[in-house]
Amino acid sequence: MDTTVFVPVTDTDTPDTGRLAVRARGLTKTYGSGEAQVRALDGVDVDFAEGRFTAIMGPSGSGKSTLMHLLAGLDSATAGQAFLGSTEITGLGDKALTRLRRDRVGFVFQQFNLLPMFTARDNITLPLELAGAKADREWFDTLVRTLGLDQRLEHRPSELSGGQQQRVAIARALIAQPEVVFADEPTGNLDSRSGAEVLSFLRRSVRELGRTIIMVTHDPAAAAYADRVVLIADGRIAGEITDPTPEAVLAGLDALRSLEGPVADDAAQAGA
Amino acid sequence: MLRITLAQMRRSSGRLAAAGIAIVIGTAFVAATLLAGDVVTRTTYDSIAARYADADLVVGATIEDPVTDVAALGEVDGVDSVAPMSASYAELSAGARSVFQTIIPTADDRLMPMVATVGSMPTQDDEIALPQDVAERLGVETGERINLNRSVPAEDGSWEQVTVRPVVVGILDDPYGAYSQTGGAAVVDADTFATWRAEENGGEVGAEEVAVAVSPGADVAAVQAALATAVGGTTDPEDARWVVPTDERAATVAASLTGGQDLVFLIFVLTFAAIALVVAGLVIANTFQVLVAQRARTLALLRCVGANKAQVGRGVLTEAAILGAVASVAGVLLGTALGQGALWVAGAMDLPVPLPDSITLTWQVVVIPVLVGTLVTVGAALVPARVATRVAPLAALRPADAPSASRRAGRVRLVLSMLTAVLGFALLGLGAALGTVAQEPTFGVLAGIAGGALSFVGVAVGAVFWLPKVAALAGRLVGASGPTARLASANTLRNPRRTATTSTALLIGVTLVAMMSTGAASARTSLTSALDEQFPVDVEVSSSTYDEEGARTALSDGLRADVSSVADVAAITDLTDVSLGVPDIVDPDGEPVSVDFTALDPGAAREVLNAPDHIDGLAPGTALLGYTNAESLELADGDRLTLTGADGTATFSVAVNEVEPYVNYLAADDLPQVQAGTVVTDMYVALADSADAAGTVATIQDVVSDSGESAQVTGIAVQRAMYDEVIDTVLAIVLGLLAVAVVIALIGVANTLSLSVIERRKESATLRAIGLSKSQLRGMLAIEGLLIAGVGAVLGIVLGLVYGWGGSAAALGIMGDVTLTVPWLDVTLVLVVALAAGLVASVAPARTALKASPVEALAAD
Repeated sequence: MDTTVFVPVTDTDTPDTGRLAVRARGLTKTYGSGEAQVRALDGVDVDFAEGRFTAIMGPSGSGKSTLMHLLAGLDSATAGQAFLGSTEITGLGDKALTRLRRDRVGFVFQQFNLLPMFTARDNITLPLELAGAKADREWFDTLVRTLGLDQRLEHRPSELSGGQQQRVAIARALIAQPEVVFADEPTGNLDSRSGAEVLSFLRRSVRELGRTIIMVTHDPAAAAYADRVVLIADGRIAGEITDPTPEAVLAGLDALRSLEGPVADDAAQAGA
Repeated sequence: MLRITLAQMRRSSGRLAAAGIAIVIGTAFVAATLLAGDVVTRTTYDSIAARYADADLVVGATIEDPVTDVAALGEVDGVDSVAPMSASYAELSAGARSVFQTIIPTADDRLMPMVATVGSMPTQDDEIALPQDVAERLGVETGERINLNRSVPAEDGSWEQVTVRPVVVGILDDPYGAYSQTGGAAVVDADTFATWRAEENGGEVGAEEVAVAVSPGADVAAVQAALATAVGGTTDPEDARWVVPTDERAATVAASLTGGQDLVFLIFVLTFAAIALVVAGLVIANTFQVLVAQRARTLALLRCVGANKAQVGRGVLTEAAILGAVASVAGVLLGTALGQGALWVAGAMDLPVPLPDSITLTWQVVVIPVLVGTLVTVGAALVPARVATRVAPLAALRPADAPSASRRAGRVRLVLSMLTAVLGFALLGLGAALGTVAQEPTFGVLAGIAGGALSFVGVAVGAVFWLPKVAALAGRLVGASGPTARLASANTLRNPRRTATTSTALLIGVTLVAMMSTGAASARTSLTSALDEQFPVDVEVSSSTYDEEGARTALSDGLRADVSSVADVAAITDLTDVSLGVPDIVDPDGEPVSVDFTALDPGAAREVLNAPDHIDGLAPGTALLGYTNAESLELADGDRLTLTGADGTATFSVAVNEVEPYVNYLAADDLPQVQAGTVVTDMYVALADSADAAGTVATIQDVVSDSGESAQVTGIAVQRAMYDEVIDTVLAIVLGLLAVAVVIALIGVANTLSLSVIERRKESATLRAIGLSKSQLRGMLAIEGLLIAGVGAVLGIVLGLVYGWGGSAAALGIMGDVTLTVPWLDVTLVLVVALAAGLVASVAPARTALKASPVEALAAD
């Protein structure tokens, strides 16, 4: 694995370790062509430091999900570059991307997406199995203990609560010790108590287990668990908040909304 | 509601089309069968009608009181010409070749179905016209003479052969196949024919049937009435003497000829069509179950806005009815096209039986398949429709997860299916016992059929309980090979009912195929060993002339070398017949008896004999006596026997042959001690296993004829080959018919897989997101296909073997030891086809699954 240390170029928030987990440079994604063309992402430059919990926030249609898909190698960019560590993932083929997702990236989904026919234990170890690797006993136990799943390992997803299912999903995302975990609205399908529990676990994973997590959310309360919030609007980075509180995040979002009006008007005129 | 149903059908058109193919094939099968039955009937009618040529009327009488003065009928007003519908038989020969042939008299062109393509019809008493293939077989052309042997009663009541030598004046064609069933008919002059027939019957005989051609312009009905008066009969065919129009007569004869047979044929083939439709029904049931599961939210929404249960259920059934009707109509079209295509192909093949040029669509051919196909489809949708009515309105408000359509199978079903299966297998066992131990094949077969059918119903109905467990076991076996296989086997098990139905569909076809192959293989083996016991050699060539002393002459070395060098002759062994005196045993007159021995080389002979135990115990120094002979000579194993020949006397140790009663054997090496200068009089010939027996025997016959030596060629090879051919032909037909069911089942496998893939679209995306590669996803589906198909095929083969063995034991037990054979080739072929089809079935679903981008895993719904 490449161990080149990248010097942050535009980073405003110096990371603890000084190393970057994920970088984007001029990242652009357009859908359709001609008059119907939509610019979902418009030349985004952003850095995510290692060992930090970052939230990407923005209103619906702001491009936050698209940004995550591109950074995670799930979708291909129209222009620009995305890096995972020192690897440029924009331009990788399907095989390389699959390996990259399997070995270096973890995912947590809004709807948990556990395999119904497997037990919690099997679901957690699935990524390792697909890679043909053996589970690190100690790491597995640490994860299960941290996430409070000890008593639930032999249950199937249908026998678990939503919160428990999402914790299994988090364990699955972390089992291969990936360089970064992407979480897409991880609390979107949970009640507020379970949601808070899951967010605490995500934060503990970063603080205690030294993981890097990038979470997409539209919930200011959820974003407040992060170390840093990146605000995105209309396909561009619109600002960021360090050590956020729910109030700070809300204020930031309000600031975005005041920007939105004229932007939306422009778009309507362009489409006319 | 209908509008909603139609809209839903449009949305699921792909799924429905795939399921519809099963019904299309099933109904096409039914339609084609009905058409074929019709063609058989019509072909028979045509060939019967052809015998009357262009006759307008047929006059009939009883065999006790035939029409004696045929010529007088020709004098009736309006009658153009008459011809007796009589036939005689004679042996025709030219050189060494001979055929037994039907002979008919010449008649007016309008009443003669055959035409002379070369030469002309006979007019003299020493002339004859031959069908083309008879002329070819005899190797004669027009202008040459042939021998015609007739059997004529002699004064003392015995039969004597009368030979005449007519000249061939014409070569005949039978364009309408009037005599195709008797291999054509030779024609002789009408007067000569009448004379011969009188001679053969010891006096003038009349005709039971007379064909009548009416003069052009005459009123047929009037002539019919006049003729009826002339012969003293009526126009009612039930009477002793009657006159009826030709087509009416032909229809009566055709019906009496085929009435039973074509019904049996129809029932036989329709049974297979029924099996195919049952399998199609399983495929349909599966499809509708999945469709209902997929549409659960839409159905719930309908319930929310006021649709009642009955409306929802009716919607599903309406959909099934529309699908069934459309698919059945397509099936009839396909079946009709296939039937017409088959006729064209058969027509181009120049078969001896003239077939109709086109099929005739009767209402039955159209209505029956459409009705049956629609009923099967609707019937298969009954359970899914009931499941649809159970969808609660509340389900519309629940989030994504599709409610499962699978119910827990009832306990009653478990108990009933187990009872049926146990009872059935017990009956099958009883049948086998009756056949083998009690030697009662009739009751054995009856018990076997009842037991087989009963147990199979039990097994198929109970499949939902035990098949998933077998699949789980198979899944664990393959699951050990890696994560892809583990995913696949877990997937096969998540919907046990669906997997069970899909595998059962395949199980039905494969079981029947394996059963038929096993039964045929067992029958062939049992038959072969029975024939081997009776006739120990493939072919025997024996000298058939005798010298002045009454001993048989030798087969020349040249002939033996020629025979052994015929292709496909695997081995030969020489036999020498010799008569030796036994000085120690005297007959009632006090004369020493003589015993006939056959001397051969035991080692070489064992290579040639099909049943080497035929000469068990034969070795140099031993005389092997047939058990009946040994008994009459009062000799037993180990006794000493002194034999005297022309050149000496020697003493042998006696061995009694356990299997052969009459033939006594000596080892060839011992022969010079008692009689030197013996000659080889016979030879045993073994054919290669792969040999075309009939062809090889014919070649050996030719070699013998060409040698100019008088020798006879006999043997079981040709007979065995004939039996084998009959078994093979029947088996091929049955397997061909069953193949339809297997094909439908394999469509079901593909259908089930693609439905699963659609259901699991999001899951596939998740797997791709967390690192499942494209080839792993493809592999996963391939293993799923292999598991579903493999489990059905393997279980079907096992069941088929059990049924095949049970049936063979019941039916063939009477023939002696039943050899339970595993037809490895067929079994392997079935397995390979099923597995390959399982693999192929996964290709299209895998393509669909791969289209799912990993991003979809993140989509909210």
